[in-house]
Amino acid sequence: MMKFRLRAWALAAATTLTPLASQAGEIEWLQWFAAEDTTGFYDKLVADFEAQHPDITVKLVTQPFGKVRESIVTDNAIGVGSDVLGLNMPWTKEFLDIGILEPLDDYLAREDNSFDTADLIEAPLGKIDGKTWMVPLNAFPFVMHVNMELVRKAGFDAPPSNWEEFAAQAKAISALQDGISGVGMPFSSQPPSNGPILTFLPLLYANGGRIMDGTTPNFDNPKVVETLQFLKDMNDAGSIAPGAASRTGGVDLEEFIAGRTGFLISPGVHSSSITSRNPDLDYTLVRVPSNGEKAYRVHGWELGISADSDNKEDAWTLVNYLLSPEVNAKAAVAANALPGNLAALDVVRKGADKTLIKQIEILEGDTPVEEMRQSPKAAGSWSVMTEELQAMLRGDKSPEEAAAAVQARWLELAQ
Amino acid sequence: MHSNTHGPDTSVLGPPAQKDKPVTATLRPMTTRGAPYLFVLPGLVILGALLSVPLYKVVEYSLYDNVIVEHDPTYVGFGNYTTLFSDPSYWSAGFNTVVFTVGSVLGHMIVGIGLALLVNADINARARTFFRSMLVLPWIFTAVVVALNWQLLLNPFGLINYVLQWLGLISEPLDWLGNPDYAMWALLLISTWRGYPFIMVSFLSGLQTVPKELYEAAEIDGAGFWHKFWHVTLPQLKPVIYGVALLDLIWTFQLFPLVWLSTGGGPGRATEVLSTLTFRLAFVDFQFSQAATVAVSILIISAAFTLLYLRNEARRV
Repeated sequence: MMKFRLRAWALAAATTLTPLASQAGEIEWLQWFAAEDTTGFYDKLVADFEAQHPDITVKLVTQPFGKVRESIVTDNAIGVGSDVLGLNMPWTKEFLDIGILEPLDDYLAREDNSFDTADLIEAPLGKIDGKTWMVPLNAFPFVMHVNMELVRKAGFDAPPSNWEEFAAQAKAISALQDGISGVGMPFSSQPPSNGPILTFLPLLYANGGRIMDGTTPNFDNPKVVETLQFLKDMNDAGSIAPGAASRTGGVDLEEFIAGRTGFLISPGVHSSSITSRNPDLDYTLVRVPSNGEKAYRVHGWELGISADSDNKEDAWTLVNYLLSPEVNAKAAVAANALPGNLAALDVVRKGADKTLIKQIEILEGDTPVEEMRQSPKAAGSWSVMTEELQAMLRGDKSPEEAAAAVQARWLELAQ
Repeated sequence: MHSNTHGPDTSVLGPPAQKDKPVTATLRPMTTRGAPYLFVLPGLVILGALLSVPLYKVVEYSLYDNVIVEHDPTYVGFGNYTTLFSDPSYWSAGFNTVVFTVGSVLGHMIVGIGLALLVNADINARARTFFRSMLVLPWIFTAVVVALNWQLLLNPFGLINYVLQWLGLISEPLDWLGNPDYAMWALLLISTWRGYPFIMVSFLSGLQTVPKELYEAAEIDGAGFWHKFWHVTLPQLKPVIYGVALLDLIWTFQLFPLVWLSTGGGPGRATEVLSTLTFRLAFVDFQFSQAATVAVSILIISAAFTLLYLRNEARRV
């Protein structure tokens, strides 16, 4: 009787503890991608993967984008991190410093991969501390969305291609009537308070400027000051929508969709929201106006493997599957994005609308840049940048003072 | 008087204990009396652990150089506290917390008491129910909905700027949440709107316990509305006011979601309070030990308010 009871206790304990233990052939994929998809695409994707790999089970863990970064850090701290991680490029240096990410160089060097590493979008692959930490599932170039009706009303035939035209058109549009502005700048402190990386950095890159020297901040350079001065001049001219310091990225997009701003600098993927929410808008998208530099800020959904994963091989099998041209093309189409694997570009091009075709042209012809990934404290850094740009637009600081303040505070953060 | 001093109480335990089972006989009264405690024990253990373990961990974290991101953190004693108390951003957030807390509680009390008096008025019963239901609505909305709606209302192109311009009170739209001079005032407005229903409901129930005879006596003495309010209503509600104000103080002092979702502590750090500073240190900068240190300072101040509240409640009982 006693033996029976002991066995029953042991069985009960084992049953209770089973979910805590990672089982061979079972991997967890934490991401926000499925939260931004209403078609059930990712459930089907996982089912297809499991059908092709019967020895591997994938648990899809979906959270909103705003929660994923902190979940990855806290899960890792208590040893329950997922095996495959949905990642955002700016998190790279932060996460590898904590020891969350597995270097992917050995996996990428394998000959039996379903893709050619040379075909992958380059930006997330760039080595930090001598290694590669993430691979691209898809990519969104930053572009400028244009309300052509307002452009024409302001007396212009075509969208601006350089800063001079941009400043002139934004000012003319703002002068049309109350409540209409040339361009919005979402510099709110409200989380994620990342407005400057959505608007200021694309302008800076199109001006040939950079903010990092490797992993060392380099914000107080002439190109940065020149770009800040351009923003300040636009603001002084009344071309920027009032309330930049309380304007969020979401509001900025909504205002454009509602036809109250002439221009919106944001990821190209927003084109589907714009056209579906306001089909009557006379809309197009163009390269971010530049001063001759063909560089664009690139954003995307990345993939990585947890350094603490017990099933790294199975985790790579899933990543490898997602990067194959056929699957990668499907994932890109589902997200209305461009594929992380450029070998899938032809498949995506076939069903693409004109806004996606323009993004493909940018992707193929221009230089992708993403520097926040090198920042030791990316989220803190863009928060600081937001505060200093607010102060500059308020008139409390000159562009030089704002640049110097950001540089000093970034160096302090990096320590 | 019967006294059962030679064995167990058979009326409770049934037949007398057998001589060959003395241990069982001894345990029976214990198990009978202890049974209720055994039933609640799992709940008590879980509840105790859920309360004490996080509390202990936060205090422990504050004594290390940086936990969570450091796999092998170093014990630094009160080093984080020394760093924190010499950091101007901590004192600035502390000052903002005091302004926000005092301003919000005052706003809640003034609006809450005023509206409680209005919805306690002797008017048509259906109308009174309607107004009571409508006025309690801000309490029901989540912080996200409240923050989003007020952001739209306070936008330079929003309704509030439009009305103020139409009334001729301002000449051009103001960025209420984006200007450091106005952001705290705007936040206090939002907090007042969100928090008054609790005070209103508490006072409404309190008002209904004030004896009508007191008002009748005051009226015979020729007292008007304000005299009755100052000399009858307020003194009668004093214990409720004190208790509810302390409770509101405790909640508002550590309020996080409404501030974070409305302003994110900005513009700059104009509306940064201790709770948002804690979150910023933890999940923006990954300085978890510094965040734990700020959290401990919030805990100590909140505990002091809680003790005051408990003393007040004990006195009322």
